[in-house]
Amino acid sequence: MPIIDVENLSKKYPLPDDKSKSFFAVDGISLKIEKGEIFGILGPNGAGKTTTLEMLEGLVDIDGGTAYIDGIDVNANPYAVKKIIGVQLQANEYFDSSSLDELLTLFGALYECDIDVSDLLNKVDLLEKANAKPSQLSGGQKQRFSIACALVNDPKVLFLDEPTTGLDPQAKRNLWDLVLELNKAGKTIVLTTHNMEESESLCQRIAIMDHGKIVAEGTPQNLILKHAPEPPVAPIHGNIEDVFLTLTGHALRD
Amino acid sequence: MFSNVQLHLAKVFLKIFLRDRQSIFFSLFFPIIFMTVFSFASGGGQDPINVGIVNNSTSPVATDFTQLLIDNPIFNVTVGEESRLREELVEGDQTMVLILPESFDEQSDGVELKLLVDAAQVQQLGLIMPVLEQTLISMEREFRNIEPMFTLAIEDVQARSQRYLDFLLPGLVAFTLMQLSIAGSGFNIVEYRRKGILKRLFVTPIQPRDFIASIVMARMTIILIQLSVLIAFAVLILDVSIVGNFASFYFIVILGTFIFLCLGFCLGSIAKTQQAVIAVGNLVIFPQIFLSGVFYPIESMPEWIQPIAFVLPLSFISTGMREIANNGASLLTIAPSLIGITVWLVLSFILATRLFVWKEVAN
Repeated sequence: MPIIDVENLSKKYPLPDDKSKSFFAVDGISLKIEKGEIFGILGPNGAGKTTTLEMLEGLVDIDGGTAYIDGIDVNANPYAVKKIIGVQLQANEYFDSSSLDELLTLFGALYECDIDVSDLLNKVDLLEKANAKPSQLSGGQKQRFSIACALVNDPKVLFLDEPTTGLDPQAKRNLWDLVLELNKAGKTIVLTTHNMEESESLCQRIAIMDHGKIVAEGTPQNLILKHAPEPPVAPIHGNIEDVFLTLTGHALRD
Repeated sequence: MFSNVQLHLAKVFLKIFLRDRQSIFFSLFFPIIFMTVFSFASGGGQDPINVGIVNNSTSPVATDFTQLLIDNPIFNVTVGEESRLREELVEGDQTMVLILPESFDEQSDGVELKLLVDAAQVQQLGLIMPVLEQTLISMEREFRNIEPMFTLAIEDVQARSQRYLDFLLPGLVAFTLMQLSIAGSGFNIVEYRRKGILKRLFVTPIQPRDFIASIVMARMTIILIQLSVLIAFAVLILDVSIVGNFASFYFIVILGTFIFLCLGFCLGSIAKTQQAVIAVGNLVIFPQIFLSGVFYPIESMPEWIQPIAFVLPLSFISTGMREIANNGASLLTIAPSLIGITVWLVLSFILATRLFVWKEVAN
C-alpha cells in the first residue's frame, strides 16, 4: 500500500483580478508515493506544487478528491496526519531572539514529545550552533535547521518545499547528502523543486506539474527515454531539463 | 485547569519572550516617566499667581493694601506702570493686572477696582477669581475692623490625604496592562504571521486553544512582572499609597490582563497587516484612554457619554482597582465592577477562540 495516496485532488482559488471567477491551482491530480521513496514534484512557478503540498499538510482545505497519508484521511483527520509528518516550508523564519536549542525545545513541546536536542542538531551538522540565533545562520544552515525542526516528531513522511532554492552549490550538495541520509534511515521524502539536477540525482521518481496538472510521472531515466528529444538512437540522451522544457514550454513564468 | 501541553508550551514561550529584554524594559519607560513627572509637578504645591498692581492712589490705604497682597504667598506681585504691566499681561508674564483708582482711600465706598485679564487664560481665571475675591474680602474686614460672621473649619472625613498621584496609579496600571497585553498578543500575532511563523506552528498538531492558552500564560507572567516593577516604583519611590488589599488588587490586574490578551488575539486575527493592526488597535485603545477613568474620574465626563464609558472593559478594571487602592474596598464591595469584568472575560475568550482559526490566521 502506498504511504501517500492522492486521488483526483483539486484546489480552487478566486482569480486575483476578478474575485467572482475562480481557477484551479491544483486540477484533479492523482499520485501514489511508496514508503521509502524520495519523490520530487517539478514544475514552473505557479504550477501548483506548493498548493499540493499544503493540502497534504493540512494547511489549506481540499476542495475536491481525496488524500490519504499512511492510511489516514487528511481531510477528515488533519491533526492525526500532522503528528506523523514533518514539514519544511519555503519561508523559514522563527522567533528572532531564541536560540536553535530553544526553538527545537519549542517544537518538541508542540508535538508533545521528548526530544534530544543535541542529537537532532548533530543530525543536521549544527551542533556547534546550538546557542546561535536563526538570523546568524547562513542560507544552507537555515535550511538544515528547518529540516531539524521537521524531524522533531520522527515523522514517517518528510515534506520539503524547495529546500535548495537560493543555496550555493556547496550548500546544495550538502543538503542533498542530508536528504539521502534521512532517506537511507527510512524516511519517505516528498520535495518540490525547479532544480533539474536535483530531481535527477536525488529523486527516485518525479512528477512534472504544469497548470495544476501532472503532465508526466516516472523515474528520471524513464522520463528521459520517453520525452527527451533527439537523437532517438542513444538510450539516454539529454537531461531532465530538456524533458522539463519540452513538456512545459519555453515561455517565461513569473 | 491547564493541561500539561499548555503549561509546557507556556514555559517555552516564556523563555522565548523573556529573551526580548529591550522591549520588556522600554515598555515600562513611559508609565514610569509619566508618574515621575506628575509627582514632581504636584509635589511643590500651587505656584503663586502673577499679579501686576498699578497704584494710582496716594492714600496710605492703597499702600497697605498693596503690601498685604505682596505679603500673601498666593500672589507674586509686581507693582508698576499700567502700560508696562499691560504689555506683560499680553505676553503672558502676568496672569492679571489690578488697577487701584485714585479715589481708593478710607472713605471710599463701593469704589471700582479694575482688573485686566487675558481671555486666553480664562480657564485659570475661573480658579483664581474666587481666591482673589476671598483675599479682598478678608482685607476689607481687616481695614474696617469688622469681625467675620463665621469661619470655615475644614475636616477631611477620609482622614488621609490623597494626592492626584494616588488617584493616578490604579488608572495608569490599568492603562499599562491594556497596552502591554494588546501589544503582547495582537501585535505579536500579526508579526508572526508576516514572518510565516504561524504557518510553521500550524503544521504541527497544536490546537488553537492550547496555543492561545500558552501564549496568554507566558505573556501574563511577563506583564505581571512589568506591572510589579511599576507598582513597586510608585509605592517605594514616589510614596503612592495603596490602601486596600494587595492580593485583591493583583486579582483584578490578572483578570484585566487576561481580557486584553484575548482582545489582542481578536485584533491579531482580524487585522492582516501590521498597519491594520495598529489602526484597529488604536480604535480599541484610544477611546478607553479617554473614557475609562484612567486619568480623571468618569463622573467628570459629559452625562450622555457616561453610560458608554462605564461599560468599557478598561472602566471596570480601573474602577475596581481604584476602589481597592484608594478606598480600601474589598472584592465584595466592588461586585459591580467584578461582574462587568467577568462578562468581558467570557466574551473576550469566546471571541478569541472563535476568531483565531489556524487556517485563516496562518495563511
